[in-house]
Amino acid sequence: MRPAGQLDVMTALSAYRGAWEDRQAAHLLRRAGFGGTPQEIARYAAMSPSGAVASLIHFPGASSFSPPPAVMGRPAMGRPTKDQRREAVADIVALQMWWLNRMLTTPAPLQEKMTFFLHGHFTTAAIEKGVWPDLVLAQNQLLRENALGNLHDLTLALSKDPAMLLYLDNAENNKSHPNENYARELMELFTLGLGNYTEEDVRQSARAFTGWTVDRRTGTFFANPRTHDDGYKTFLTHSGDFDGSDIVDIIYQQRTCERFWSSALLNAFVYNDPEPDLVDEFANVIARNRFELAPSLSVLLQSNVFYSERAYRALVKSPVEFAVGVHKQLGLTQIAVGTPAALRAMGQVLFHPPNVAGWPGGAHWLTSQMLIARDNYIARLVEGREMNESSWAAQLPGDAGKAAREILFTLLQNDATPRAYDQLAAYLGGAGTARGAVYLAMAMPAYQLG
Amino acid sequence: MMKRGRFLLGALSGITVVANADHVFGRALADAPLPGLPGAGDRILLLINLQGGNDGLNCVVPHGNPLYYRMRPTLGIAQSDVLAIDANTGFNPQMRALKAMYDKGQVAVVQGVGYPNPDHSHFRSTEIWQTAAPQSYEHTGWLGRYLDDANLPKNNLFNGIALAEVQPEVLVSNEVDVPSIASLRGYGLISDRNALAKRTYTELATDDTLPFASPYLAHVAEIEDHAQRGSEELPKLVAGYKTEASYPATPLGRSLALAAQIAGSRLGTRVLYVQHGSFDTHVSQKETQDRLLGEFSDAIGAFYADLAAHGNDARVLTLTFSEFGRRIAENGSRGTDHGEASPLFAIGGGVKGGLYGVAPDLSDTNMGNVRFTTDFRSVYATVLERWLGRPSQSILAGNFEQLPIIA
Repeated sequence: MRPAGQLDVMTALSAYRGAWEDRQAAHLLRRAGFGGTPQEIARYAAMSPSGAVASLIHFPGASSFSPPPAVMGRPAMGRPTKDQRREAVADIVALQMWWLNRMLTTPAPLQEKMTFFLHGHFTTAAIEKGVWPDLVLAQNQLLRENALGNLHDLTLALSKDPAMLLYLDNAENNKSHPNENYARELMELFTLGLGNYTEEDVRQSARAFTGWTVDRRTGTFFANPRTHDDGYKTFLTHSGDFDGSDIVDIIYQQRTCERFWSSALLNAFVYNDPEPDLVDEFANVIARNRFELAPSLSVLLQSNVFYSERAYRALVKSPVEFAVGVHKQLGLTQIAVGTPAALRAMGQVLFHPPNVAGWPGGAHWLTSQMLIARDNYIARLVEGREMNESSWAAQLPGDAGKAAREILFTLLQNDATPRAYDQLAAYLGGAGTARGAVYLAMAMPAYQLG
Repeated sequence: MMKRGRFLLGALSGITVVANADHVFGRALADAPLPGLPGAGDRILLLINLQGGNDGLNCVVPHGNPLYYRMRPTLGIAQSDVLAIDANTGFNPQMRALKAMYDKGQVAVVQGVGYPNPDHSHFRSTEIWQTAAPQSYEHTGWLGRYLDDANLPKNNLFNGIALAEVQPEVLVSNEVDVPSIASLRGYGLISDRNALAKRTYTELATDDTLPFASPYLAHVAEIEDHAQRGSEELPKLVAGYKTEASYPATPLGRSLALAAQIAGSRLGTRVLYVQHGSFDTHVSQKETQDRLLGEFSDAIGAFYADLAAHGNDARVLTLTFSEFGRRIAENGSRGTDHGEASPLFAIGGGVKGGLYGVAPDLSDTNMGNVRFTTDFRSVYATVLERWLGRPSQSILAGNFEQLPIIA
């Protein structure tokens, strides 16, 4: 849903020079990360906007982060047994916990946020179609390595990624029986969008991708010359004996590809349904930077439109953003064990998007059942052992009014009405508890918005 | 004074169930007639997902076909065990209750249901059945689109209910909030157990006059309000219902008991969803499938007995689906692999019972799979037009032939 009001397209992407306080710093950390701890928000608020964005874009290299868990691959022989499938599902849950913890504690939040964005964009679902946990992890690492890299390079790398080749059937795409699934989704959902290519382009590019498969012995990419169609193809007005990388090259020469990515990034980072003029302007930035994400995002995250009132809390937090953000704001240093199950009830399972189009987001996160799941998740968290005495919420002032103010400032940067202060203070001054008040603040509508 | 203890303890335990006949964002609204079909305003569709790929051939058994026994040397169900409908076709022996209903004309068996270019992935094929979109990716389900289209009262929180933990794709709608309620016990806000927290939540959750203008703010506040009112009211609204059948102690039995309770409480609910499975029987199929079909049949038997005792059996149409049938030939593990077309059931007092569609041809197959002879959207179109009383063309993105399965 597009926010109300008018866009000033001339100044939309110019550098923002307005107020820079906790409110703006928290906004930046919600969008370019998974929210900030109270300390992180204060630290970013003390920087300049450009300094804050620079520190997100130029993140530390290989950190001392805990390595991913060891996970299984597809059993070499025969059909997997029930036990093996169960083990694979357990591995996926372990990977979810590992990734959620990484989102929570990484010193490079934008890298993790972009990995998450790209996972929902270039979707692959685990276990379906032989995408076993080892391939899921390999794809996740590939996305992370390219999270602020070049979209053209990443698209080519994903076209050779075993998880992707299996999930979208290109592993079965051969000269005698072309399978168009990958070629179609590559254009429809990953790079161009419907209406920007023809059915004939799908057929021709599917031929170019024939033979790009997975070596079943090694589980790695293999371009099989015997099943590749090396004939002449015509694709988006270009002709030649193309293979998959030629197709990706041609796609990345299209203006529609620049606009497609512009729209996808604006939807994810600024607001939904961005104006066509804004899409054009940011597409120009992407084009100037030759599909390099770091400089393009640097412009976007420092822009007027990004800090405008129209963009402020204009997105619905996804369940993952919500759950990780709750941990950050409560000062929890480890993801609570029940989180993957709770995320399922909230409607988002990592490594298992609902379909190849990814999570639709926006209003689709808002059903009464999903909100009950969110609220009950916080209720269990604030009641649980995880919230130990070192959390700020366990050390609130005894005065109900002061405590209410601190809660609403820390969790919501005061995005609340006087009535909310009164209600919370009355709750605390009555038989309410500090943990209960923290829960109530997080159950407020404003808290669901990113 | 603040207490640092657990804020929920020492509060009311659980949801208080109080019969309250006057409190009705359901009850009064249920009488609002739907435009179109007379009587449609009272009708309910219960959709049951036989999840995992139910083997159609051992469910509706072609016991007159020698090819069946040749391709199913260990899994074939002996002719003498089949609950025969006629010389060629019969039910799995575990489905006695369903067979009894069939004999009373309350079960329509539609054979060979599927869609063009079948997908063998559970995931994708389930999605196709739920979105009714074999060739595109839709974010709404076919029943979600029905809810959007049907002009149902906006203030009724229970126009559609999934009796499930997670919202199924089939009920994803653009306009209508569909709660997923696995059980009354689990459907509620933990904080509602504390009177003060509950009161404060209500105040805070509806606070939509904030110092910023998010396009989603009013919507979140509205849905939070639904969440609280819905979870608080539903147990009260259905509390007056007395179950009049002995349901099997299975998850499906419990779900259908709740479905009958909801149907009998006249909340204005139009669509319900339940899941049963998993039918993904690659290995040792017989034990698993027989158990699941027996559970299904027994639960349906109790469900319609309960509905009938309240005069609701002709108001509730049950429709089953499964993402695919299974390969005709059994595999080396006494199981079957993913297949294609399979039969589905339409059940209830409003059904014109009998065998419909074309019996599976086991000699002319699609690479070892049963070819589809009835498009699944024909079944959906029939249910939409003749049961729910809505035009189907825009919901299904096309015109599909209707079947004479509704009385």
